[in-house]
Amino acid sequence: MENLGALAVLLAFCLSIYAVFGSAVGALKKKPFLILSAERAVYSIWILLTLASSLLVYALLTGDMRLAYVAGRTNHAMPTIYKFTAWWGGQEGSLLFWSWILSSYSAVVTWTNRRKFRQIMPWVIAVLMSTQCFFLILNAFVESPFQVLAVGKGVVAVQDGRGLSPLLQYWAMAIHPPMLYLGYVGFVVPFAFAMASLITRQPGDAWIHTTRRWTIITWLFQSCGIILGAGWAYAVLGWGGYWGWDPVENASLLPWITATAFLHSVMMQEKKGMMKVWNMALISATFLLCIFGTFLTRSGIVSSVHAFGVSAIGKYFVAFIAIGLGACVYLILSRLDYLKSEAHLESIVSRESSFLFNNLILLASCFAVLWGTLFPVITEAIMGEKVSVGAPFFNRVNIPIGLFLLFLTGVGPLIAWRRSSLESLKRAFLWPTVAAVLLVAVLIVAGIRHFYALMSFGLCLFVAATIVSEFFKGSRAIAARNNMNLVRAMVELTHRNTRRYGGYIVHMGIVLMFVGFTGAAFNKDDTVEVGMGETFRLGKYEMKVREIQDGDTPNYMWQRAIVDVRKGGEQVGTLRPERRIYKASQEPNSIVGIRRRLNEDLYLNFASMSQSSSDKAVIQAFVFPLVSWIWIGFGVLFAGSIICLIPPKVRLQYARTEVVGVVQKHAKVEK
Amino acid sequence: MCKNMRRLKSRFLLAALLAATLALGSTPLQNPEVRRIGKKLGCQCGCQSSLTECNMLQCHFADPARAELLRMVDSGQSEAGILKAFVDRYGKAILREPPTEGFFLIGWVMPFVATAAGAVFLWWFVRRKLRPEAAAAPAAELSSEAYARYRDRIEKDLAKLD
Repeated sequence: MENLGALAVLLAFCLSIYAVFGSAVGALKKKPFLILSAERAVYSIWILLTLASSLLVYALLTGDMRLAYVAGRTNHAMPTIYKFTAWWGGQEGSLLFWSWILSSYSAVVTWTNRRKFRQIMPWVIAVLMSTQCFFLILNAFVESPFQVLAVGKGVVAVQDGRGLSPLLQYWAMAIHPPMLYLGYVGFVVPFAFAMASLITRQPGDAWIHTTRRWTIITWLFQSCGIILGAGWAYAVLGWGGYWGWDPVENASLLPWITATAFLHSVMMQEKKGMMKVWNMALISATFLLCIFGTFLTRSGIVSSVHAFGVSAIGKYFVAFIAIGLGACVYLILSRLDYLKSEAHLESIVSRESSFLFNNLILLASCFAVLWGTLFPVITEAIMGEKVSVGAPFFNRVNIPIGLFLLFLTGVGPLIAWRRSSLESLKRAFLWPTVAAVLLVAVLIVAGIRHFYALMSFGLCLFVAATIVSEFFKGSRAIAARNNMNLVRAMVELTHRNTRRYGGYIVHMGIVLMFVGFTGAAFNKDDTVEVGMGETFRLGKYEMKVREIQDGDTPNYMWQRAIVDVRKGGEQVGTLRPERRIYKASQEPNSIVGIRRRLNEDLYLNFASMSQSSSDKAVIQAFVFPLVSWIWIGFGVLFAGSIICLIPPKVRLQYARTEVVGVVQKHAKVEK
Repeated sequence: MCKNMRRLKSRFLLAALLAATLALGSTPLQNPEVRRIGKKLGCQCGCQSSLTECNMLQCHFADPARAELLRMVDSGQSEAGILKAFVDRYGKAILREPPTEGFFLIGWVMPFVATAAGAVFLWWFVRRKLRPEAAAAPAAELSSEAYARYRDRIEKDLAKLD
């Protein structure tokens, strides 16, 4: 079976080379049969990789302990769902999973465009298949998931495997990697269209229209992946945070930031024919950062430069990234003539320049994260001395950048295209600013002195007020004209321009998430040793450990503290933080107890039994204000992104060529 | 029977293991100073979190380091002294952020330098991309009547300010 799997991967590798050259040569020599055969190679690669993946999943589910990957990532007692998720639980499997998703995307793109874009499609396939080829090299020759545990010449099986890391045996972790991978891999598609349009010297921005939905969906997958990772860290890692600025987390954030910048700056190209070079650069950066993120996660370079030296796949990634970067730079520079801007900026105070600022700040935060992640590697290489760059650094650098970005989220959408007059700015921003200043004043009177928290709350209200007023003004006009109630008018308004109002809803989601992030300024924590029946306090809560239970499942043993929670003298609930020891790996894990409320979460971690007294438990208690708003905000962001994907009721036309005339007329009227 | 005995024995062993691992605790964390200073020191077990936040049971690094930290706090050492002692023993990598001195300053200033450089570039770019007539508009329209009216008003306003 393992031979069949390895053979399928090998054949897929050969076919990917064929697909690259078949479509490139077919396009250059204008040989339709070659192009068609390359398209069929794409489908065949998907079939072969589906076969290889199915074989691996079958081996994981049936516990075929002859395979090193199966023995290393599963054990017989593990629940079936986690046996399945072990597909992406380890290095070799996750790289195969990457390849499989890419092959699926490639097959979908090839099928849906089989009668469209005949000029660029061969090159789209060539770019997709080049990436596919790279990952298949890793699957076939470097990190094969089909290696058997061989002693001498015989194939042997171990009795039971080591099991998946306990930290990964959690529902959010089961779907977090696929979401993130769907995001990572998804960006290969708009990148492939961008490069194909450069190669074929397409003057227009068809590639942006074609891949707009694709980009939003991919961005959404990546957002889901990131937030699920945060939710997992919060509920499983037991230290109470949702974001630790770990290099692997940063790796997922980097392409998300550039993709966010891209989603904004493509609007400039669609509406004004500007920023063409910039959009090419952004989508290339996003693609390269996706590959870089996989490299960062997989090569271990950040833990040490020396780990990179011994890692088998690091060198391949560096080579691929270097080739990719070289190709992007060459293509963009050699096609600059086709990427000329079609319009000028009218004024510094305009929507256009607010987009430029938004891009600058997004890229600044991307650079700060990338720099912080790589700084230990740089110092180790230059100074021979390693330093750490942890959460305190990233928080200090990124909080001001994030707040400025929040400010732009409020300002940008309200500034008119082309130019904004002082009068219109005043009209749009007067009340939101007044509301924000009032809120800050009230918070100061209430005793809050944390500078960033005050800034953040003020800005959150400012942005929320601008968004609400946009919805209100628009729907009031529609309600008056069409004689409908305000709620229906709001739905109508959103439906007319789903992209714009969906975008506002996404911004509202970001605002709510910022409210949640800001709550971290007021976290409280305590660690206590308590015996049965003893109480301890944290904030407004009084907690009593009622009993310690223990038990056993085939997969793990557990010990659980039953803690009664009282607030203001009243019993408000019971939390059951738990400790587990997984039998196969002998690794511990904690399942924290959380009482989630909109104003704050009470979070208990059962750290251990006491060293000094065997009947006392060590409990770490935390109060996290407002943290639920992060998850609620993400829900809003998700809904907004889905609305963006709904086709608008009114098709908007952007007559770019007439822009100049329109402006001149407009200018005359103003005089 | 033999099989049952073996199962019983393995259950006993697992229970003993559970007790042993759960018995080793993070008691020093009860001290708020230990928790506060511990957040500035990175655990070296590979978990990427701080000494306070490492959640591994029996962590070979965090447990003894926390005990040491508690001893230092109890003996009345200052925070700076404690951090220095840890750096002397484990190197600069124990701190969770780069030192603000020498080469390491680059780590701190670079994000802001890059942002400033980006802003300067953007300024240059915006100036260059501004519609030529928009930038030069005042000069071109000096003679126009409307412009003269605006100019008069501005001058009047400025005079009032004086």
